This record gives sequence, structure tokens and C-alpha cells, in this order.
Amino acid sequence: MKGLKDRLISGLLLLLSLALCFFSTQKFREQHKKETLFPSGGLASREMLSSYFPGLIDTPGDTEVYIYGGQNPGGNILILGGAHPNEPAGYVTAVLLIENIQVSQGKIIVIPRANNSGFTHSEPQEGNLRGYSLETPGGKRFFRFGSRLTNPIHQWPDPTLYINPSGQKLSGQESRNLNRCYPGKPKGYLTEKIAFAIMEIIKKEKIDLAIDLHEAAPEYPVVNAIVFHENSAELASYSLMELQQIGFEFRLELSPNNLRGLSHREWGDHAQVMAILLETANPSQGRLKGKSSLSLIIEGKDRNYSKAAKFGLLFVPFDGEGIPIKLRVARHLAAIKILLSSFNELNPEKRIEVNHMPSSSQVKLKGIGQFLCPPYRK
Amino acid sequence: MFIVYHLIIFYLVSHFIWYLFRENEFWKRVSVALVLIMFLLRLFLIK
Repeated sequence: MKGLKDRLISGLLLLLSLALCFFSTQKFREQHKKETLFPSGGLASREMLSSYFPGLIDTPGDTEVYIYGGQNPGGNILILGGAHPNEPAGYVTAVLLIENIQVSQGKIIVIPRANNSGFTHSEPQEGNLRGYSLETPGGKRFFRFGSRLTNPIHQWPDPTLYINPSGQKLSGQESRNLNRCYPGKPKGYLTEKIAFAIMEIIKKEKIDLAIDLHEAAPEYPVVNAIVFHENSAELASYSLMELQQIGFEFRLELSPNNLRGLSHREWGDHAQVMAILLETANPSQGRLKGKSSLSLIIEGKDRNYSKAAKFGLLFVPFDGEGIPIKLRVARHLAAIKILLSSFNELNPEKRIEVNHMPSSSQVKLKGIGQFLCPPYRK
Repeated sequence: MFIVYHLIIFYLVSHFIWYLFRENEFWKRVSVALVLIMFLLRLFLIK
């Protein structure tokens, strides 16, 4: 017969287990909360991705689609952020557009969290932060730092070998990589359904130009780049010259024909849209990075990368100043602005007029937060 | 399938709790309590 003291200790241990479950759960579940975005007055309508493909209704893949303009006919543009939620500049650029732009001619559709499920978890074994805050004039805004891949609790298990909808053989986990799943499948994996829904938007909204915002590790060859489908070659090369004139060095990369499933290849092949993918250099997702930290995400500083640059291992300049997120977002904004103006010159019958887009020079100078709404509803 | 998974976890959790009250050694009980956390999270389907 055990004593009362022993039972009391066991009871306390049981209570301690339940308490630890409760408190750890609170933090863990915050990952599933979406941060609020505050669209500008120019927003024409906000839809859900599932309204273009009902197969996504009530799934973690469903996400907001922000539509600007549409009153005066012109070109139709799609801008995708958050296809890889561990690439914060792509997501933040989309948010900046949502909270600032007004479109007086043509239509701009922005999807900030293209892979919504990827925002609900982090890369295993990376020790990444849950998110980061950007200082606005009215206080800090928090943004999630997610994973490159769809959350495995939403799509599991991975196949040993993944053959994507275009027939490319890839490692199993790439079945959860949105930018390997195009053109998607209506009855495929969740990630393939998201890709299919995005293709539906491109077709139903008669998109002319589609821009996918990404980042890549500084040691990855395709970085600070405009990756283009051959049907947007003229637009890309024209834009490159203009970007160089305002001091942004980009490299042009033609979308390879034998690498299937990527936005810049399948959007162009399956929807005949001008497809462009933009890459900036993000040290927080690279293999050479040191400890994950807020400074690494915001300031983009990392001693390992500074050393790697001295050994000539990187494809971008990297010094003690790092590559801050405001510079990466400024690069994306500059590229979008130039792509739109080049599009207008090449397609005068499909003009698009955008007002109040934050300028890249101002974002570099003042920071991103100056162009974000304060963290409370207007 | 969902119910079967739940029943298996519930069965294991009940055994852990039974063991927690039956075991004499303090550190073994602490170990059980730690293992129990992970199974409780699964029982409540916190993911």
C-alpha cells in the first residue's frame, strides 16, 4: 500500500504535465493565427482562393486574394508573395503593395500568403524564429516566418519519389513545395490543389503578366535575378536595362525547359502568360548561416556569410553590413515598378496605372515600417 | 481511422497514469510524467 505522500507527488507530477501541455500549446497554436493586413482604400474586392477553385474550401490551403482596380480596362497583373514563407522579402513586398497601392487603370491581383499552410510551421532543426517585427510609426507589426514547404500536418505522408504534374521526378518532400507543383492538379495533394487554384486565377482573370516574389540563399547561383519565361524575354531584358540605370544589379535567367513545375515555366506554358520570378539574397535561409536570430532576418547580418564572401563562395556581395530586409524589399519594389512601366511601353493597348506604390529609394532610406499601417484597424 | 488512433493514444495515456501512481522511484515517475506530456498533446490532437 503506497503512502499518501507518494500519491500526492504522483498527482502533482500529473498536474505538472497537464500544465506544461497547456502553456506550450498556447505558444504553439499562435503559429496558426494569421496576422491582420490593412488593405489600402484602393482595394476593389477581397476574395478567397477557393472562390476560383472550390476544392480548397475549408482547407489550410485557402488564402486571401486582394484585387485592385478593374474599373478602367487595361492590363491584368498577378503578384504572388509567400509561395515560400521562409522568404520574408517576398511576403513583406506583397503586404506593402496591399497596404499602399491604388490602381486607376487595369487590374492588379495580389496573393500575399500563396502557401498559407507553410506559414503555420517552421523548418525542423533550423532553430528559426516564429516571426519578426517591423517598426511602424504606430507600433510594431508582427509577421510570421514560416517554412518553405506545406505543413506536414496538412499534407502527409510524403511520397518516396514525387512525380509532379508536369512529369518531373523530385524528392518526396518537394510534393509540399508550391513552386514545384505547377500547373497543379484538382484532385492531387493539397499543394497541387493550391497550384491549380493559382492557375485558375491566371486563366479566369485573363492575367497578362504574373510575378512570383522569392528569395534565395546567397550561395545559390540564381540570386538577385529575374527568371523569365521565353514569352516574357523582351519584357525582362528591357526591364533589366532600366533597373541597371537606377543602380540595381540583376542577372537575367531564362527559365530552363527541362526543370518542370516552377511558376516561371508552367505559368507561361499552360496559360501563355508573361511569367517572371524575382529573387533576392536572403541569408536567413542559407546553408552557411550562423545562429538564427532577429538580426539575421531584419539586418541580414551574418559572420559566416561575411567569411564565405571573402572565400568567393557567394553569388552576391556580402560584407559586415549584411543584406537587410529593407534592401531586399526595395529590390522587389523597384523590379515590379520597372516591369510594370516596361509592360506599358511594350503593350500600350493594355496599360496599367498604379499610384502610391512605395518607392524603392524611400524604403531603402526610411525602412519598411514607414509604409505599413500601424498594428490596429483603421 | 481517427477513432482508432484516439483509442490507442487513450489506452497508452491511461497506462502511463496508472504507472505514475504505481511506481515507487521518484525519478522514474518524473520520466513517466515527461513522456506523458507528448501523449497528452497527441490525445488532445494539438498540432
